Amino acid sequence: MASRARGRARGRARGLEPSAPGAQPREPAPQVAVVVGRGRQQTGQVTRSEEDKAVSEISAGFQHVQIGVRGGRRRDVFDAGINTRQTIEHVKSSKCGTSGLTINLSANYFRVLSRPKWVLYQYHVDFKPPMESIRLRSALLYQHEALGPVRCFDGGMLFLPIKLHNKVTELCSRTNHGEDVQIIVTLTNELPPTSPVCIQFYNIIFKRILRVLSFQQIGRHHYNPKDPLNIPQHRLTVWPGYTSAILQYESSIMLCTDVSHKVLRSETVLDFMGNLRQKCGPRSFTDTCSRELIGLVVLTKYNNKTYRIDDIAWDQTPCNTFKRGEAEVSFKNYYKNQYGLDIADNNQVLLVSHVKKAAPGLTPLGPALLIPELCYLTGLTDKMRTDYTIMKDLSMHTKLTPEQRSGRLLGFSTAINKNETVQAELENWGLKFDKQLLNLSGRVLPPETIFQGPRSYSYNPRTADWAKEMRGLPVMGSPPLENWLLLYTRQNNREAESLLEALYKVSGPLKITLQRPIIIEYEDHQESLLRTLQKNVRNETQMVVVILSSSRKDKYDSVKKYLCVECPTPSQCALARTLSRPQALMTIATKIVLQMACKIGGELWCVEIPLKQLMVVGIDCYHDSASGKRSIGALVASLNQSLSRWYSKVKLQTRGQEIMSELKMAFVGALKDYYKFNQCFPSRIILYRDGVGDGQLDSVVKFEVPQIIQSIKSMGENYMPKLSVIVVKKHVSCRLFEHSQGTLINPPPGTVVDNEVTRPEWYDFYIVSQAVRFGSVSPTHYNVVYDTSGLKPDHMQRLTYKLCHLYYNWQGIIAVPAPCQYAHKLAYLVGENLHKEPHMDLDNLLFYL
Amino acid sequence: MNPLFKPSLHTQRHNFVIDFIRKTNPKKVADLGCGECSLLQKLRFHRQIELLVGVDLNVAKLKKRTHRLAPLSTDYLQPPSNQLCLQLYQGSVTQKDDRVRGFDLITCIELIEHLPINDLDQFSKVVFGYMAPQTVIISTPNSEFNPLFPGMLGFRHTDHKFEWTRMEFQSWSQNVCLVFGYMAEFTGVGKAPPGQEDHIGFCTQIGVFHKLETTNRDGQIHGDNAEVNFPYKLIYCVTYPSLCDNNILRKMLISELLYWAANLTKEWQEKWEAEHEDNTPVENDAEGGCKYREISWTKAQELECHPLHRHVSVPLDLLWNCCPKLNEMSGSLTNLIQLITHDPKIKMNSLHSAVVVCIQEQGDEDPNDLMDSWYAEPCHVEEKNWETDG
Repeated sequence: MASRARGRARGRARGLEPSAPGAQPREPAPQVAVVVGRGRQQTGQVTRSEEDKAVSEISAGFQHVQIGVRGGRRRDVFDAGINTRQTIEHVKSSKCGTSGLTINLSANYFRVLSRPKWVLYQYHVDFKPPMESIRLRSALLYQHEALGPVRCFDGGMLFLPIKLHNKVTELCSRTNHGEDVQIIVTLTNELPPTSPVCIQFYNIIFKRILRVLSFQQIGRHHYNPKDPLNIPQHRLTVWPGYTSAILQYESSIMLCTDVSHKVLRSETVLDFMGNLRQKCGPRSFTDTCSRELIGLVVLTKYNNKTYRIDDIAWDQTPCNTFKRGEAEVSFKNYYKNQYGLDIADNNQVLLVSHVKKAAPGLTPLGPALLIPELCYLTGLTDKMRTDYTIMKDLSMHTKLTPEQRSGRLLGFSTAINKNETVQAELENWGLKFDKQLLNLSGRVLPPETIFQGPRSYSYNPRTADWAKEMRGLPVMGSPPLENWLLLYTRQNNREAESLLEALYKVSGPLKITLQRPIIIEYEDHQESLLRTLQKNVRNETQMVVVILSSSRKDKYDSVKKYLCVECPTPSQCALARTLSRPQALMTIATKIVLQMACKIGGELWCVEIPLKQLMVVGIDCYHDSASGKRSIGALVASLNQSLSRWYSKVKLQTRGQEIMSELKMAFVGALKDYYKFNQCFPSRIILYRDGVGDGQLDSVVKFEVPQIIQSIKSMGENYMPKLSVIVVKKHVSCRLFEHSQGTLINPPPGTVVDNEVTRPEWYDFYIVSQAVRFGSVSPTHYNVVYDTSGLKPDHMQRLTYKLCHLYYNWQGIIAVPAPCQYAHKLAYLVGENLHKEPHMDLDNLLFYL
Repeated sequence: MNPLFKPSLHTQRHNFVIDFIRKTNPKKVADLGCGECSLLQKLRFHRQIELLVGVDLNVAKLKKRTHRLAPLSTDYLQPPSNQLCLQLYQGSVTQKDDRVRGFDLITCIELIEHLPINDLDQFSKVVFGYMAPQTVIISTPNSEFNPLFPGMLGFRHTDHKFEWTRMEFQSWSQNVCLVFGYMAEFTGVGKAPPGQEDHIGFCTQIGVFHKLETTNRDGQIHGDNAEVNFPYKLIYCVTYPSLCDNNILRKMLISELLYWAANLTKEWQEKWEAEHEDNTPVENDAEGGCKYREISWTKAQELECHPLHRHVSVPLDLLWNCCPKLNEMSGSLTNLIQLITHDPKIKMNSLHSAVVVCIQEQGDEDPNDLMDSWYAEPCHVEEKNWETDG
C-alpha cells in the first residue's frame, strides 16, 4: 500500500499550467536568470581529474549555476549529489562483497558514449532590456546564426557543442514591435561528460528524443498512445511506455530504462461519476465521489497536460464564467470556441486542481477548474486496486517475462538508433547510446540453512520457499494455547467445525499445543459481533479467532479496533469462503495455526546469525488518506539473538512533525525492551529504513540519522553501539536478467550486484532475494547511508539476505528484510483499520500478522 | 494611448479564422505562410476539417513545433468519427503544387506584406488562379493605423516589404477578383480608439474572397492539368485517430461489445446463482426477465479454453439494443458482424449471432499436496564469526 501512496505523489500535475482556464494569469518570470540552486549538487562530483580541475577554473563565480530557470524548485528524484560513501571509512576503496558463485547478468542499462575529449560549453545569456517571456527570449536568440545550428536553451542557460570565439559575445535583435534588444552570451563553464550539469543536460536531450519518437509524457514517464492495449471488460486502456533516467553509475554514465505501463480509463470522468451515482445512490454520492476521485490524475481532451484532482466544486457548472482577458466567458463557450468541443451536460459539477509548484518569486496560480466531461482518469482508483479480477486482468497484460521485457527494451534502443532525426540530434551533440543491454556480473549467495528447533533443512534455491519442508516438523517454540475463543455465525457453523478439526490435525506435528476453545455463536452484524467480544474476552483470553461471513470491512475493523486498542488480545480473522473448500483446507489451517502461534509469541524458525548482541530494526511508513493525510510510521526491532522475537511500535504523525521525531520514542522503547530480554543493551544496531520516496534520501541523511544517534546517546554517556543505517527501496527501475541457454530468465534468489549499476557516491548494492512465478523479478536496492559497524560489505550483504528469510507470515524468502515487512504490515493495519495506536501490552507480539 | 490589444492582435486574427470556419464548415483548409504552425495548432481541434495543410518557405520554423501538431494522448481514447489528416509542406506561395488545389478555404495571415511586390502577381495567379479555393482569407497590416503606435517609424516588422492603406489593399483585391472570378468583403481586427474607427480602420485589415459559382475556370486558364506539379516538399504528415480507420473502428466496437457482454453476463450470473441457490426456480419476473432471457450457458467446444471454465452466450441483438454506441459507430448490425467476426479478440458462436464470454472462477491455484513432504539433508557449514570485522 505504501507503493500506492508513492504512486500518487508521482502523479501530481507538473510544471505551470498557463492555459488552464480559471487559473490566474501567470506572473512575470523572475528577471534574474541565475538561480542559485541546490548547492549540494557540487559535492556530488565524484572523480575529478586534473583536466576537470583546470576547466573548473573558468567557472569561478558560477559554481552554483544550475539548469532550471524554468521549473524553479525541481525535486531531485534521483537523489543525486548525496555523497554518503565518503563518510564510511571502510568502503572507500571497495564496497564489493566476495561470497557466492559468479553469475552472468544483463541489466536494463545502455551506456551513453561521448567522443573522446568531449566538452559541453555552457553559456549564460543576458537580455538588455530584460525579456519576460521565455518564448520571446529563445525566439530572439535563435535568430542568430553565429551560435551555430545546434543549441539547447532553457531561457537562461545556453548549451552549445562549440566554443564561441570570444568569452563574451554580444548580439543584437529586434522584436516585432521594433524594440532593439541586446543579447550578451557569456561562456561560464566547460563541462566534462561526467559533470552533474552535463548529466542534467543529457536528460533534457533525451526528453527531446522521446518527443521526436512521439512519446507522450505523463508524470515522469513517457508513453506511446498509438499502440494501446484494451481491457474492455473494465473500460481500461493500457499504454506501453518507458521510464528513463541518465545518471552517473559506478563506472560510466548510463541510460537506465524500464518498461512501464500507464493505465487509463477509456471513459470520461463524467461517465465515471454517472456510474458511481447509479451504484451508490444519490445520498452517499458526494462522499463516495470525493473519496474515489480526489488525488487521481486526469488528462484532458484539449491538451496533453495532467492535472491532479484536489477537490470537487459542487457549486459550479460549465455555465459558470471565468475572466478571460477583459471579458467574462462561460466554460461552455470557451471550450466550444477554442477547441470546438461541445459540452453536453450543463449540470455537471467541476473538478478543482491546485496548480502547484510556481517557481520561487512567482505568486502561486489559483485553482484550475476542469470539466469532467472533458477529462479522462489515469491510473487506478483505490477501489479498483482491491478488485481481484481487475488486477488479474491487468497483470495478464502488464507482467512481462524477462525475455519479453528485454525484447521491449531492445526495441526501444533500436527505435533510438534507427530514427534519423534522433541520430542527427545525437550526432550534433557528439553523443551516442550503446545498442546492447549492459552486461555485468553478480554473485549468487549460498542458500541458508533453516533451523527449526533441533532440526535443520535447506530449501530449493530456485523457488525459495520451505512450506513443504517445514510440515511435520516442530516449530522452534510456541506457548501452549489454552484459553481461546472461536466466534462464528450460524450460517458458518460447518466452516467453524471443519476449521477446528483441521487446526487440531495440523498443530500436532508442529508441536503447537492447542486446547479446546470456547465456541461462541454471534449474530451476523457488526454491533452484535462487538457485543459478543465485549462480553466474552477476558484478561486470561490468549487468542480470539473470528470467522467472518463476508469480507465486509466494518466487521473486520471492529474486531481489530476492539482487540488491538481497547482490550489488547491477539486475534485471528478467517473468511468463511476460504474455509469452505475442502481441498485447500489443510494448507489454510496450517497457515492459520502458524499465524496464531506467532501472534501469541511463538517462534517458528531461524537462520544462523554470526553476530552477537545484535539488534535489527525495520522502519516503514504508511500514508493514511482517510484521517487527514497524516503518515503512520512503524518501527520493529529484534529482541533476541535468534531474531525470532520482535518489539513493534506504531506512531501516528502529529501535524507538522517529522515521522522520525515520533519514532525516536519508539526506538528508545525498543532499546529498553531489548535490555529487559537480554540484561544488556545491543552492541550493534542495524537499522533498515523502508518507505523513503524518491528525492527524500537527503532528509534521511540530514535529519533522521542524527535523531537516531541522539536517541542512542540518551541511553547513557558510555553507551556507544556500532550503528548502520540502510535505506531499503523495493520500487526501483533496475532489472536484472540471467543468461541461460540462449534466453534471459530471472536471476535466482540470492543474486547480489554491487558493481556497474550501483552509484559511485553511495555504499549500495542490489539483492534479488525473492522468487517470482510470473513476470520479471525486481531487485531490492540497499543503500548504507551510515555505518560505524566496520562490517565487511560481504557480511553486510549476507546479513541482509539472511534477514529476508525471517518473515513468519511467509514460509520462504521475501523481497525485503523481515523487520521492514513487519513494519509495513503493522503500519498498514493501523492506517487501514485501526487509525489509532495499538495498546502497549501488544508491543512484544507479532499481533498484526 | 496604449495600442496593445486584448486579446492580442495575433489571437484576434486567429479567432477570426476560427469563427469563419465554425460558420462555414470547410473540409479542406490550407494555411499559407504558416510559420510555427500556431494557427494550425488551433484549427486541428475543429473536426469539421478533414484535411489541414500548412505551407511555409522556412523549413526550420516548420519543424520547430511539429510535435505540437501530433494528436493528443486523449485523441486515442475515444476517437471521433471525423477523419483528420494534417500535412506540412515546405514551399513557396509563388509555386503551383497540385496538392493544394480544390480546397474549401485558404488563409494567408500576415503573409503578403512579406512578399516582394513583384511577386504579388505570381501569388495571385497561384492562389486564386491555380489553387482556386472556395474562399481565401488574406490579412495584412493597415498602414493608416501605424501613427497610433508611439514612436514607430517605417514598417511594423523589419521583414515587411510594404504596408498598405485600406484603399491600396482594396483596390488590389478588386483587381484580383476581376481577373479570377472572386468577390471580396473587407473587415479587420484590432479596433481603433472610439471615434477614430472610421477614418483609421482596423489595425489588421482582412479581405475575405468568395469564389463566384458561375466561373468554373480552374484548369482552363492554364490548361496544365496533364502534367503533375509537386514542387512542395512534404515535411510532416499525421493522420489523427478516427473511426474512419477500420482498425480503430474494429477495436472500439470490440471494446464496447466486450464491455457490455461482461456487464450483462455478470448481472445475469448473479441472478442465475441466486435462483439456483434457493432451489426455487423463480419465473422470470417482468423487470429482469426479458432483459436476460436470451443469455444462456453454452458448451462452446470449439473454443481453446480451460475445460473447467464455463461459457456464457450473449446474443448480439441484446447487446445492440443495450448499447446505442454500437449503432452510432457501425451503422448496421450486418456491418458490425462483418467488422468483428474474424477478430481473435472476440469469441462468437458458430452462427455469429452471439458473443461468448468465458467465466473464470476466482480461486487459488492448486493447493500443494499436503502428503508430499520431503526433507533436505542437513547440509550446514558453520558460519565463521563476523565479529572480527572492523
